[in-house]
Amino acid sequence: MEEIPARSGVEKSGNGVQPGSIAAATKAPRRIGSLRDFLQLLSENRQCITWPAPVMPEPDIRHIAVAASNDVQNGPAVIFDKIRGYPGRRLVIGVHASWANIATLLGRAKGTTIKEMFFEMTRRWGAKGAKPELNWIKPEEAPVHEVRVEKDINLYDIIPLTRINEFDGGFYIGKAAVVSRDPRDPEDFNKQNVGIYRLQPHGPDRFSLLSIPAHDIGRQILVAEKDRRPFRIAVMLGNHPAIAMFAATPLAYDESEFSYASAMMGQPMTLTQSGNGLDILAETEIVIEAELMHGERVMEGPFGEFPGSYSGVRRAPLFKVTAVSHRRDPIFESIYIGKGWTEHDTLIGLSTSVPIYSVLKEQFPEVQAVNALYHHGMTGIISLKNRYGGFAKSVALRALGTPHGMMYLKNLIMVDDDVDPFDLNQVMWALSVRTRASDIMLLPNMPMIPIDPAAEVSGKGHHLIIDATSFLPPDNVGPDVKLVRRPAGEHIERLMDQIRRIQEDAAQ
Amino acid sequence: MSAKHNACPRCRGSEVELQYQGKEDSRVIWSILHCTRCSFTWRDSEPPESIVSEQRDPFFNVDPDEIARYPIILAPTP
Repeated sequence: MEEIPARSGVEKSGNGVQPGSIAAATKAPRRIGSLRDFLQLLSENRQCITWPAPVMPEPDIRHIAVAASNDVQNGPAVIFDKIRGYPGRRLVIGVHASWANIATLLGRAKGTTIKEMFFEMTRRWGAKGAKPELNWIKPEEAPVHEVRVEKDINLYDIIPLTRINEFDGGFYIGKAAVVSRDPRDPEDFNKQNVGIYRLQPHGPDRFSLLSIPAHDIGRQILVAEKDRRPFRIAVMLGNHPAIAMFAATPLAYDESEFSYASAMMGQPMTLTQSGNGLDILAETEIVIEAELMHGERVMEGPFGEFPGSYSGVRRAPLFKVTAVSHRRDPIFESIYIGKGWTEHDTLIGLSTSVPIYSVLKEQFPEVQAVNALYHHGMTGIISLKNRYGGFAKSVALRALGTPHGMMYLKNLIMVDDDVDPFDLNQVMWALSVRTRASDIMLLPNMPMIPIDPAAEVSGKGHHLIIDATSFLPPDNVGPDVKLVRRPAGEHIERLMDQIRRIQEDAAQ
Repeated sequence: MSAKHNACPRCRGSEVELQYQGKEDSRVIWSILHCTRCSFTWRDSEPPESIVSEQRDPFFNVDPDEIARYPIILAPTP
């Protein structure tokens, strides 16, 4: 097992808990301070491997990443340290690519069900308004500034970039956490934005950043150009694993993603300052400091995106790199995105589902769970205690009015509380026996994400609600139907264990 | 720069820059090239389906002379 080298400032806990054991789920979770800490924990848990042989940047890394993440339950992160042409450089991919890795991040045992993780996250979400706990250290003490490059900057020399999909327009950086401040209120920490945006290098010290006006950073770019103010950003690569998972969660404009990630982890993030005055994670692997080139737009894309198709070529803002800081022997973290299931789905599936649930639950306590795992919520399933015929449709319409639901929730399936929305066999049962063809709602010409290939025009298309809940008055409930009571509970679970043991004994 | 990459595989323009070379013990393993006309970037060691014009899927060709086909995502203030 490879030892992931820890650096100064990284606290290593030795609580003796065996990750992956049942005990791990009941004791205090081990502190994760950085990507390196997490890779170490994953390695001990057999959820991170180092690829043993030399690889070419293309297509080998792409192929190995896909093969690893094809095991959605237990696929490992993969470290590459023998990349041809990049001697001494390291790349890791698939850090969030399996449910076992997500469970490890949440301090839960491998094998924890998605539903259990969903409720764990809803519990933590409730603490997000708590006083934010953050640690600060001076830049000269921060591991991220161990190596500083201010002259002759060449991103290709520092980062082992690869083409993620075969027809991408360049060597994308797909897991970059970008820090920016409101150009009109740069002193307000809570208006500092951390978001995941895709970056495309356009040379040794230039990159484009794709955003839309609805994104925080898109709004900031337009304001900076209008006011002719400088706009500086810090791009963090190889981050604490909570940042990628939670920075993509829709928060209000004046809520700090750093504070939120700390609350969700139950452990404070450690911050420091970048050379250009932004707050960054002190233990991140690489930070690119850059400044907007006002008025410049360059051709960006295409890029294989999470709907499983390529985005088109567009013209996007350009940034000039002003400095790079990195740890010694940095690890560049990459991601494979494309036709699902991919790391993108496991990375943001739960943090897409939880905010929708939380908003609905405030007004409709009948809502039991939200499964919006599918392609950033393009298809979602909501379970609820049905009150009367048509009730589920009203709840569905409210879901379409949540911040994320407006554009992303395209197909929505409503089921009763006796159906687990995370168990697709049960969902299919509800669709089979509880859906009348007249129980669907088609909502034409609604907002839609621009990269949805099913859009009528980019950014607009049709939404679908399928009410697969039971018939209640004033529905015509039809002939008297009584459900079969399926035996369930502890007795059945004990019998299942017994059957597994008999199977295992027979195999020996 | 190798002769086979004196044109961009995507737009066939000739504005190609050599931007970086990956080396092992001073030996060049591959080169990164960039088209300043259409922004395509590629490594000369990639599979031909990605970097040889004739073998690429023509759906992904780009024509910078038809610039209006490529929308501006954040229109700059005039």
